[in-house]
Amino acid sequence: MSEIEIGRLLRSGTTGFVVGCKVNQLNAPGFGAMVRVPLEAQYQVYGVIYDIHIEDDGLVRQLITAQDVPEEVLRDNRENRNVPVEIGVLALGYEQERRIFHLLPPRPPLSLDAIFLCNPGEVAHFTSAGRFGYFRHMLRDRDKPVEELLAAHLYQARAAQVDAGNEDWYQMAVGELITLMRDDYQGLIKTLSAVSEI
Amino acid sequence: MINADLDRNGSEMSEQSVSSSVEAKKPIGYIVGGGLKANLQARLTVPAQKVQEGAFVVVESGNWLFYGLVTDMQLGSTDPRFADEQTETRLPPELAKLLHGQTLFTNLEVMAALMMEQGPDMDEDPEAYQAWFQKVMEEEIRPEPVKTVPQHHAEVRLAGAGDIAEIFGKEGEKGYFRIGDTIEGGHPVCVDLDKLVQRSSGIFGATGTGKSFLTRVILAGLIKRDKTAVLIFDMHNEYGPDDTASDTGMRVPGLKAKFPSKVRMVGLGRGATIRGKTPDYTLEIAESDIKPEDVMMLAQELNLRETTPTTLEALRASFHETWFQEFKQMRTNAYEFDEDGKRVPAPDSVEAWANEAGVHPGAAEALHSKLRRLFNAPYIVEQPAANALQQMIDNLDNGQHVVLSFGKHETDLDYLFVSNLITRRIRDVWEYRTNNFRSGHQGATEPRPLVIAVEEAHKLLNREMASQTTFSTIAREMRKYYVTLLIIDQRPSQIYDEVMSQLGTRITGWLGDSDDIQSVLTGLAGREALRGMLAHLQPKEEVLMLGWGVPMPIVVHSRRYDDAFWEELLEKKDRRSNRDILKDIGF
Repeated sequence: MSEIEIGRLLRSGTTGFVVGCKVNQLNAPGFGAMVRVPLEAQYQVYGVIYDIHIEDDGLVRQLITAQDVPEEVLRDNRENRNVPVEIGVLALGYEQERRIFHLLPPRPPLSLDAIFLCNPGEVAHFTSAGRFGYFRHMLRDRDKPVEELLAAHLYQARAAQVDAGNEDWYQMAVGELITLMRDDYQGLIKTLSAVSEI
Repeated sequence: MINADLDRNGSEMSEQSVSSSVEAKKPIGYIVGGGLKANLQARLTVPAQKVQEGAFVVVESGNWLFYGLVTDMQLGSTDPRFADEQTETRLPPELAKLLHGQTLFTNLEVMAALMMEQGPDMDEDPEAYQAWFQKVMEEEIRPEPVKTVPQHHAEVRLAGAGDIAEIFGKEGEKGYFRIGDTIEGGHPVCVDLDKLVQRSSGIFGATGTGKSFLTRVILAGLIKRDKTAVLIFDMHNEYGPDDTASDTGMRVPGLKAKFPSKVRMVGLGRGATIRGKTPDYTLEIAESDIKPEDVMMLAQELNLRETTPTTLEALRASFHETWFQEFKQMRTNAYEFDEDGKRVPAPDSVEAWANEAGVHPGAAEALHSKLRRLFNAPYIVEQPAANALQQMIDNLDNGQHVVLSFGKHETDLDYLFVSNLITRRIRDVWEYRTNNFRSGHQGATEPRPLVIAVEEAHKLLNREMASQTTFSTIAREMRKYYVTLLIIDQRPSQIYDEVMSQLGTRITGWLGDSDDIQSVLTGLAGREALRGMLAHLQPKEEVLMLGWGVPMPIVVHSRRYDDAFWEELLEKKDRRSNRDILKDIGF
């Protein structure tokens, strides 16, 4: 399967990073999708998209207020905009010497590192390693839409796991989520409500 | 570890028992709390319906096994809102099931009763295992009372047949006699008959709970075991002769039919028949055998006055052993005129004797009147045709068992009077023999242990009577003299507390009255936990065994008293235990 590059790194930290991409690159990544950033031989960082952000610029503001703007001008401004689309990625773990760690990466990616969308095999590989330790990172920041993020992630990861022959993965994952969240009644019920929609 | 299913207790295992054993080995939960004073708490990991109150469970903790009873089950949740909200209506069934599995749970309350060291793994360390096994065989390692607690998260499982046999013994070994099966798994539960008879015991239960049948089962076991003499006061003529089961209408054989040479059926009164059958012999009581104490014991039944003891004492002082006969022959309201023409009591009248003995004539006359029921009892005679009482004692002494059927004399008066008088005599004999034996008299042999089965025991052992009857003395102290009671009653609360607290083994069916429940549990540890179990027993054929004679309390589905029972009891060859076989080959 060919690699899908979705953009390059704008800024990063230990817990996550922001990817900048062109609008025409935006067809592939989606909310809850997993991405990876190969950094060096035998070391790459994994993350999950929790936010896709489109900033305005001066020209867009003018165009919105202008009258009868031709279609080709709108398309030109949308596709060739100066400000990139920003994709927020939450770091979930890393792979080092073929071993998956559900820990925060020791070193964050650097600016302009290329970010790739994980293919189903990579998703299955990362999510079936260990015992769902990466859920910790997803549950940590309550400012993020955690419930929706979990639901979107489970939806995509379940498909990848079923393709890989792990029919039980989804049940185990939900079971682990319940275990982790059972002291937070509101949060758990919200998450399960979201999960029940997938 | 202990390989209980190695079956060091006996025979080879059947395919069925192997599969049930495998089932029993599966954990049903794990320990989450508790202590020595409070019960242990275990989180259930299987559906609650798979375990019932009273289930016998084993906790495996490190090198120790803890044996206990489930005394309560409680629904719980990690947050009360998970229990309050019907999330199954909001979430898909799959998610709801996962959520409930993690947030809703059942906790078991386990009353730990015994613990036992389990050996090392046979495969990992064969030598250590062998050494441990040897200690088990030599009974150096035995179940002991719980003195510590299992670890957190120690696995809990239902006891298997091997565990039950480990604690309660295996049928056919020594005095172990199967009294029923566990509720879960149906594993045989035995009672040690030799231990059972070392102290007085009680069988309780409301009417219709199968007390009589269970009593027959135990009596049959004792008679078959043949180490103890059994005397049964059969008030309702149901133990000796054949009977019909009230629930099934089936004919059930009596003890006499099954042990014709061992059991002597004795009828009360000359010419007595028991359910149309002639007894082996009949019992008549000589008037000279009656003592004032025998009458005092009937104070309530005969509505005797406070003056009675004085009158009786005067009678004894006047006539000694023949007081009853003399008193019976006295006339009441008999007068004659003396030389002066004055009306005076006739010389053979009660009043004349009373005046002479310094007793109030009115009190003496009243006593005479009230004793009329005894005077008229046909089984009390001046000179019995044979000394049946002595014959009964001889029978009991010679390895036979006696069922005294009251025949048509079924009143409380008959029962109280006869049973107490006989028991008093027996007590005297056994006490005398024991003293002779203990003091090393030449030719004195150890008395044969005797169990006296008493129905409707509260009539003899209630608060008012207990101090007067021989039975309470036996219950309290006759253990030393080789005589114990087997009390059968439906109202244990009516039995004097002091007697109840002396009962070694208690086997009780369902009891509805809270006072009765309280009474059965008198003097036992863990009463509160056991109370619920007792109240929730099935009304039929489920009994709770507890007390000194059983290693730990257990709920048992009692053995049915039917043809299959007799077939097993009489035709089964005594199997030799592995222990015996191993001993024989020098292991």
